[in-house]
Amino acid sequence: MTAAQGGTGSDSLEKELTAFLTERTGTEPSAEQDLFSTGVISSMFALQLVVHLEDEYDIEIVGPELSMDNFRSVRAMSALVQRLQGAEDGSRAG
Amino acid sequence: MSIDTGAIDALVGDGPAAWDTTGLIPVDVLRKLGGMGVLCAEVPARFGGPGADVFASGELTAHVGALCSSLRSIMTVQGIAAATVLRFGDREQRRDYLGQLTSGRLACVAFSEPGAGSDLAGIATRIRPADDGTGDALVSGEKMWITGAVYADVIVVYGLFGDGPSGAAAVVPTDAPGVRIEQVKDPLGCRAATHSRVVLDDVRVPARAVLGGGGQPLPLLFTTALSYGRMSVAWGCAGILRGCLAAATADARTREQGGSPIAEHQLVARHLAELYTSERIATQVCRHAAEQWERGAADAPVAAVLAKQVAATHATRGAATAVQVLASRGFTDGHVVARAYRDAKAMELIEGSTEISQLILARHVLDTV
Ligand SMILES: Cc1cc2nc3c(=O)[nH]c(=O)nc-3n(C[C@H](O)[C@H](O)[C@H](O)COP(=O)(O)OP(=O)(O)OC[C@H]3O[C@@H](n4cnc5c(N)ncnc54)[C@H](O)[C@@H]3O)c2cc1C
Repeated sequence: MTAAQGGTGSDSLEKELTAFLTERTGTEPSAEQDLFSTGVISSMFALQLVVHLEDEYDIEIVGPELSMDNFRSVRAMSALVQRLQGAEDGSRAG
Repeated sequence: MSIDTGAIDALVGDGPAAWDTTGLIPVDVLRKLGGMGVLCAEVPARFGGPGADVFASGELTAHVGALCSSLRSIMTVQGIAAATVLRFGDREQRRDYLGQLTSGRLACVAFSEPGAGSDLAGIATRIRPADDGTGDALVSGEKMWITGAVYADVIVVYGLFGDGPSGAAAVVPTDAPGVRIEQVKDPLGCRAATHSRVVLDDVRVPARAVLGGGGQPLPLLFTTALSYGRMSVAWGCAGILRGCLAAATADARTREQGGSPIAEHQLVARHLAELYTSERIATQVCRHAAEQWERGAADAPVAAVLAKQVAATHATRGAATAVQVLASRGFTDGHVVARAYRDAKAMELIEGSTEISQLILARHVLDTV
């Protein structure tokens, strides 16, 4: 079910995220592009994105992790996914 | 999950007709239902809730919707409050607030403002850290048409965080200094749910009342809350149609005119067929959306809009059809079909009006088809 069991390199993660955004919004953002100020993330799409990330990468994004900074760009989201995957692997091991 | 609809039916009894005419549900009924976890059934068991899945929660909502849309509206706002806490609250906030919401404390949710109805991007309410070293937050703004505020212990207030552009949701006690609640007089429908203007005048709350510390994308806050609300309203509309179908069928079977039960007149029979069709369509579109949520599909939020849109338009039409079948027998306030006729109309206005829902669906089509 997930594309990313065992962790995903940041390059391929950024590529996957870019592909998803491109498919769903019709525009291809650069890795650093501010997705909010350039209008890529619309009202409906914000939640679709969270639901997609949770399902695709088997993570839970809740509470303070939902801050705008974590979703601002492809790069920021990629870092968030990697961090949460690391945290969940750690908690499973422990 | 263990929600006993028999216990709900016993508590509700034949109350809804009188609740509609007096415009009030006895608050102890709400607190009892709240303590049973009925008002926000999807709260997981580890937080004290019934832990209903989206299908069981939906059927429960439809069950209550068939009895009383005012009560179902209270469920909707309590459920939105819980969904917001579940998604945006930190560990301790989830434990604390979800515990409260499943033990009889009541919540309402405040988005709409005089200048921000359909276009929530226009909200002006601010939730900002007080710069006096206390770590408190100050909440200021004016909210409109807040369902259930007169019953509520807490208001989940959605606003801009600091100077924006990010947003925040804060849990504000209704008895905090600076909170003013003014009830809207004589609303057209959902009368016993109550609706109020809520004025927040520099209301001071501790930092821990700001969910997740604030600073979330505003669209994410709204869409998370509204998606829960849309599913709840959609199932509630399936319930309205069930109530109307039952009342119209019973009446058409027994009322005799022209030498036979009116159901034997083909034009009346067609009304029954149409009501049945509407109820089935509403139920199926709700189930479809529930499936999308269950499997974590990215288009689940769009499926919720579709469900709300389809169910609300069918409920509005179906309620008018039911009044047509019962004629004078359904034409007094408090009657199940009279309530449905007025209450269903509200469902075409809230959680994204029919027009706004159509714009979202059209956008979805343009982006994906
Ligand atoms: C019974 C009831 C309960 C409510 N409960 C709550 C609650 O608990 N909490 C809360 O925060 N709010 C609540 N509301 C407020 C509700 O969310 C708003 O009424 C709703 O968002 C519509 O806003 P408005 O009334 O300002 O209408 P407007 O936004 O002024 O819309 C008026 C008309 O213009 C149309 N329109 C607006 N913009 C567009 C557009 N861009 N394109 C096409 N058509 C457009 C609308 O569809 C509508 O037909 C409640 C309202 C009602 C009636």
